[in-house]
Parts: sequence; structure tokens; C-alpha cells
Amino acid sequence: MPNPQNILPTGYNAMNNEESEPLSFSTTLKSQFALNNIRIQSNLLSLTTDTTTYVNLARYLKEHDFDRCLTISATDWLDTNEFEIYYLVHNLKNNIYMKVAVRIPRKKPELTSLSTVWESAAMHEREMWELFGITFVGNLMLKPLFLEDWTNLPPLRKDFNWRDYVAQEYYKTEEG
Amino acid sequence: MSQILKAIKTILGLAASKPMTFSFPPDMPLTELHRGRQFYKPELCKGCKICSMVCPNNAILMVEREKSEENKTGLQPQIDFRKCCFCGLCVDNCPTGALSFTNFPILLTMKPETLNYTPEMLAIPPTLEHPEPPKIKNAVSWARSRSIWIINYMTGCCFIEAVPWVASSFDMERFGLIAVGSPRHADAMIVGGYVTPKTLKRIIRIYSLIPQPKWVISLGNCPMTGGTYWDSYNTIKDISKYIPVDIWIAGCPPRPEPIGVAVVHAIQAIQGGYNGKEEKTNTDAGKMKLPTYTLLEADSGQAQIDLVFGSQHSASGNFNMSLTLDGEVVVDATPNPGYLHRGFEKLMEYRTWIQNIMLVPRICVLDGASYELAYSGVSEKLASIEVPLRGQYLRVIQAELSRIQSHQMNLGFGGAATGFDTNERIIWGDRDQVLLLLEELTGARIYHIFNTIGGVRRDIQPDFHTKANQLISYLRKRLQIYDDLFFHNKTFIDRTQGLGVLTQETAIANDVTGPNLRATGVNFDIRTATPYEAYKDIGVKVVTATKGDAYHRFLCRRQEIEESLNIIERALDKLPSGPVCATRTAEDKKITWRLKIPQGEAFHVVEAGRGELCFHAISTGENVPYRVKVRGPTFGTILVMFPKLLHGVKIADVPVVYWSLDQCPADHDR
Ligand code: SF4
Ligand code: SF4
Ligand code: SF4
Repeated sequence: MPNPQNILPTGYNAMNNEESEPLSFSTTLKSQFALNNIRIQSNLLSLTTDTTTYVNLARYLKEHDFDRCLTISATDWLDTNEFEIYYLVHNLKNNIYMKVAVRIPRKKPELTSLSTVWESAAMHEREMWELFGITFVGNLMLKPLFLEDWTNLPPLRKDFNWRDYVAQEYYKTEEG
Repeated sequence: MSQILKAIKTILGLAASKPMTFSFPPDMPLTELHRGRQFYKPELCKGCKICSMVCPNNAILMVEREKSEENKTGLQPQIDFRKCCFCGLCVDNCPTGALSFTNFPILLTMKPETLNYTPEMLAIPPTLEHPEPPKIKNAVSWARSRSIWIINYMTGCCFIEAVPWVASSFDMERFGLIAVGSPRHADAMIVGGYVTPKTLKRIIRIYSLIPQPKWVISLGNCPMTGGTYWDSYNTIKDISKYIPVDIWIAGCPPRPEPIGVAVVHAIQAIQGGYNGKEEKTNTDAGKMKLPTYTLLEADSGQAQIDLVFGSQHSASGNFNMSLTLDGEVVVDATPNPGYLHRGFEKLMEYRTWIQNIMLVPRICVLDGASYELAYSGVSEKLASIEVPLRGQYLRVIQAELSRIQSHQMNLGFGGAATGFDTNERIIWGDRDQVLLLLEELTGARIYHIFNTIGGVRRDIQPDFHTKANQLISYLRKRLQIYDDLFFHNKTFIDRTQGLGVLTQETAIANDVTGPNLRATGVNFDIRTATPYEAYKDIGVKVVTATKGDAYHRFLCRRQEIEESLNIIERALDKLPSGPVCATRTAEDKKITWRLKIPQGEAFHVVEAGRGELCFHAISTGENVPYRVKVRGPTFGTILVMFPKLLHGVKIADVPVVYWSLDQCPADHDR
């Protein structure tokens, strides 16, 4: 008979890492990929790069203990006519978070899928495909996730006239 | 054998102890601090319109009244309780104190228009009038009124306050009410909160399958007006356009008491011969096309069949999954989420940084406090605001209480999934005690809206220490009961051990976090890995287990309840003095509801009840965020890991695996 009291191990603050680890990792990255714009905020490293490094870096990170892909997300920058897409991954051994961003033109929203690198990436890309209309080349899962019969612009785009849509689709229809 | 004796002893002990059920009416377990219907003092009001501007739900309309010396504009607030979510921003920001809260929670009606309160109505203190019970019409109407069966469909977050009625604390069975899984057995339907187009189609279908006579009760503001989601691109604004509704209960969510009052009204009306409104459904509008289902053909010679699990299933939550079965065994599973997608990330771009605080906890009703915490944290990082130490401690207490009730909820569902109803009755009954303490602390049971940018909105009451310590020692005793009835129970062990086993590698690769990950032996808890608030001071003992099966996931949560109690105890012991909230930003600007946050972006992670919760916010220097990304803890677990975990699982064990992962469709759908 298992006793719940008996399986409790470990003490306080088991994983609170040394400040120096993110720093030394960023130095390694800099030399490997000729990157010069890595920002360090406590245990988060972030950088913006080009589409090729976006993929190569992902493979490199996966091989270097960044096993957890937390999310792939996008931001719509209307002012520069670009989508910013980033992945946020985590290294469980050293407790370092890493965000890698890339900017692509709004006119041709296409990017290589990372679904072969991280298993959980495909579902996040599918969400971005639905809500922003970004195509991830190589992702076999690109079909509606949350919405049913959606025919308008992808709703999270900044130029989706959402107040109009709500007025038209809900308040007007529900009036009549 | 000794275990069996122990269980029998525990049950006898429970039978001999005071019942957990609140009597109904009159002694409602209300706290003084509950944020209920507003009270308005016209003589103080200066007609400044601030209350109507600050309201995130558009609930306040300024109406013209006579001008006076004090009130030069002559404008007075009219509050629409079809929309108000009792966030308290209007009361907090009213410069004269003309608006205040009472603790009155009961707002229900058969005609929603009557919930729009004019200034004159707001100036009358609220009271509860029970209607004269009508004469019993005949034996049939009497029998009907005493055996209302309710269809079990958890549409939205208002359902959380219907849950206490299943528990021993409110106990609906004393009124003859039972929750049933099949619409053909049901008499009544409760629309529990927001309805997305996807959900609406199922509601219409279920409604039409319920035999006559049938009644519909609508819970919360969302089905009346869209409530908090009045401008969401994926939420229905008025359910009565699609199906007839008999009773409307306002609130966000309404407390359990008004639900009880509504039931009493319904019972009386049915006794008097009321047979509900005329049946009708509106499926004409384009959005409302009903989904097509292919019916299974018996003996079609196929080796494998497809089966739909959810969204209306006693154990599914509002989430849908198609399963392919080979005999009894699942060979393939495909999730189909989105029933609760309200488009939070879009809505947040149109509310000010402070207004968003009332929005975020609604992402996950089971553990809203963590979302407040994470969102406040990311905003404070962006604005470089330091939270005073006392405020940080109070946040920890709030978050841990919320974790306890969330885990209790899960253990109850775990009981339900394995056929242990006792478990759900007892643990959810205890959960009500935690909610009461949360209300003492924050002013609300479910959506506390306790945090604000800079700290928390108010300090504790003088008797909070005593009440909290009482609860802590009560719950510690109750944990022993959970062990005797549940964790040491051979049947429960047989149902859950070795089921849905996760290894460390698969859990990590599929982004499983929280207790689910820790049950595989990985020591990863944000409270110790990347400490925030006062967790470093207070200390956290990370709970892990080794087997990674359903049993150990439940067990981890049971242990975490214990550790959370310790954390709260330590926090109360060490509670520093001082202010609870910062009032000025780093640039020495006053923090108001229109606060502009400097350009930049920030990440913040916290350990929510279900695991690592991550907020990413971008500011362009405006008083609204440019973009907020919410990465909830269940996204990977439920949408990615769960379907894979089901391969080879027997159909009867699907709900067990599901609840052992502590799902929250509202969280991954957003
Ligand atoms: S409590 Fe909140 S939602 Fe209600 S009227 Fe006031 S500001 Fe609006
Ligand atoms: S109630 Fe308060 S905030 Fe509203 S108009 Fe009157 S004084 Fe101004
Ligand atoms: S937002 Fe409020 S009214 Fe709407 S479903 Fe949730 S609790 Fe109910």
C-alpha cells in the first residue's frame, strides 16, 4: 500500500540557477552564429534574426538541451508591414529561456515550420496559421483549430475590423 | 484489511459529525466583503462621468437628472446588471464615494430588461423578497417540481458556481435536482455562461432533444449581453434570440445563492402549473448551421469505429475529441478545441492596462488568481514598478489559496471519473470553505480582481489571521480523510495506477508542466526555479513523485495542497508591515486606470495550479497593450500530449486520464 507521506523528496529552491549560466551560454551562441544582438534579462535571452538562422538556431538549441518549446507566437506590425514571429524555448537543465524572433513581410507570410524540431511546435503554428494567417511550410496540421466556418480576415490581424464584424455578425443579426 | 476498517471508521466519523451543508434560506454563507449590488448616494455625486468611462463592460450609462449645486452636469449613473461584472473599478475610481458596494448577491429575473437599474433604484438598499408560493396545481405538477433533472453541459465559466450545488455544501439533491448526462432524461438546461458559435450549435441541438415540458435557466451576464465579452468576435450576445429562456440570473459569475433562489422560484412556478415557454429554436442565422454527424451503423463489418467524446459529456468539460476505437481500446484520438475561444488576446488590445486585470482571470476559471498574478507581473516588469513587500506576501497567500481550491476541484473530478461520488461531494464541500476565505481576502470567490498594477487592492481584515489558521488546521485534518477514502482505497488505486504513464522525456518533449511533469520526477516548479513575488523569502518545497501515472498525478496535487497550507502559514507568520500597493511608477507618475506604460516588451512566468503560465506583453507607450500573448499551462498537455497518451487506453479510462492531467479547456482555447 503506497503511503503518500513517503514519496516526498527534495528541499528548497532546487533549481534557482546561477546568474552566470545565461551569460556564458550567450557567449557560446555569439561565437557559433555570429550574433551580436542578444539581450539578457535575468534568465531570458532574446534576439531577432533572419529566416535561415531562425531554423538553424532552432536545431542547435534542440541539441543543446532546449527541449521544451513553450510557444510559437506572432505580432502584427502594421507600421512596417511585417509579422514578427518568435519561438520561446526552455532549457530545463540550466533553467534558461530563449526567445528567437524573425520578421517577415505581411504580403508573403511564409516561414519554415519547426514541427520537425519540437513535437509541440506544430500545434502552436496551427494556431498562428488560424489567427494570423501565417503559413508554416512543412507543417502538416494547418487547418482550423478554434473557429468554425470562419471566412473573414484572420481575427488577430491588426487590420481585421473587428468592431464592425461584431456589430454586423452579432448585434445586427441578433436584433433582426 | 486495516485499510478497510480505517475507511469504515472515517465514514462513521463523517456520519457522526456536523453536516457540511449550508441551510437554505436563510443563513447564506455570505461574507461582509463580497462585492455585490452597488449602492448609490445621489447627494454625493458630482456627475463627473468617471465611473462610466472606467467601466470595462460598458455597464454604466450617464442619464440626465436635475442639475444642482453639487452636481453641475445633472448626470447620474445608471447601472446595467446584465453587463456589470462587479470588478469594482467604478467604486474605486469614484472621487466622491457616491458609489459603494453592498454584499447583496441576488439579481435574478424573468425579464432581463428589469436588470437595468436607474439612479433612483440604485439608491434603494437591496432586499430579498420571497414570492408567495402559489397553490399546487395538481399531483403531476407537484411531482415535476420536485424532480427536476438538469442536463450536464458545462458551457462557460459560470458553471463554476453551479458546482457547489453538486457538493455537500449546497447539495442540490435535497431539492430533488440531479445532473444527468443525456438530454432525453433531462427536464431543464442551465446555460452556464458564455456561448461561442461552436457551443451554440450544440446548445440548440441539446435543447431540442429535451422532452416537453422543458425549462431553461441562464447563468451570468454572458448569455444576456455577451457580458465581459461584449465586443468579442467569437461570443454570442443574446442567447434568447436562439432558444427561449425562463429565468435569468445576473452576476459574473453569480454566487451559488442566487442559483438556489432561482431553483426555489422554478419549483414554485412549476408547482403552480408553469410549463415553460413555448418551444422554439432559431437556426436560420448563418452562424447557426447545425453540425452534421454520421450515425454509426451497427454491424457494418468495420473493425474500428469512431466515437465522439464531448463537448457535452459528463466528464469532458466543454472540449471535444474524436476517438477511433478498436473494440474497447482507443487507437487514435484527435482533439477539436475552440468551444471556449473568446479571443482574449484581441480583447486585451482594446482595454487599458488596468482594465485588463478584470479580464485575465476569466481565461481560466479554475485558477484565475494565477492569471491576475502573471499579468500584473508582466505589466510591472514593463513599467519598472516595484511591489511593496506586504503586497507580495498577500499575493502569495491569494495564489496559494487559489491553488488549493483548484487542486480540490481536480481531486473531486478525479473521484467523479473513477466513480467515487463521495469524493467529489466531500472535497468540493471543503473547497467552499477555501472560497469563503478567498472572499474574506479579496471580496470575491472566483474572480478576485485582487491585484492591480503595483500590488494588491486592499489590506487584510484584522481577523484574517484567525480565520486563515482555522481553515489551515481544518484542511489538514480533512487531508487524512481524503487519504482514507481515496488514496489508500484499493479500487481507486487499481483504477489509476499504471494508467496513462508519462515518462520524463515524453512529458518534456510535449511541453507538459506543473504537477503532471513533477509526477514523473522532474523537479521543476517556477516558484523555486525562477522565483517571483515573495516566494524566495517564504520558501517552497517542491513536490515530486516518480511513477508518472494517473495516481501519482492526483497524489502530487494532494501533496501540493499540504505544501500550500504550509506556505500560507509561513507567509502569515512573516507578513511584513507597510503598504500593500505602489502608487507611483518608476518615472514618478501616478498609477491610474489610464496608466501609460513605456515602450518595450516583457515576459513573465508564474507557477499556476496547472503549471507554468507565461505572459508576453508588448507596449508601444500607450495606455493599452499592443499585443499580449498568453501561453497557458494546458495547451501542450491537453492538445498535444493527451491524444498520444490515449493510445491503448480503454474507453472507460479516458475520463480518468483526462482529469488526471487537470485539463482546463478555457485555458487552451482562450
Ligand atoms: S463594477 Fe466594474 S463592471 Fe460593474 S459597473 Fe463598475 S466598473 Fe462596470
Ligand atoms: S458616481 Fe462617482 S464617478 Fe460616477 S459620476 Fe457620480 S461622482 Fe462621478
Ligand atoms: S465571464 Fe462572467 S458571466 Fe461570463 S461566463 Fe464567465 S463568469 Fe459567467
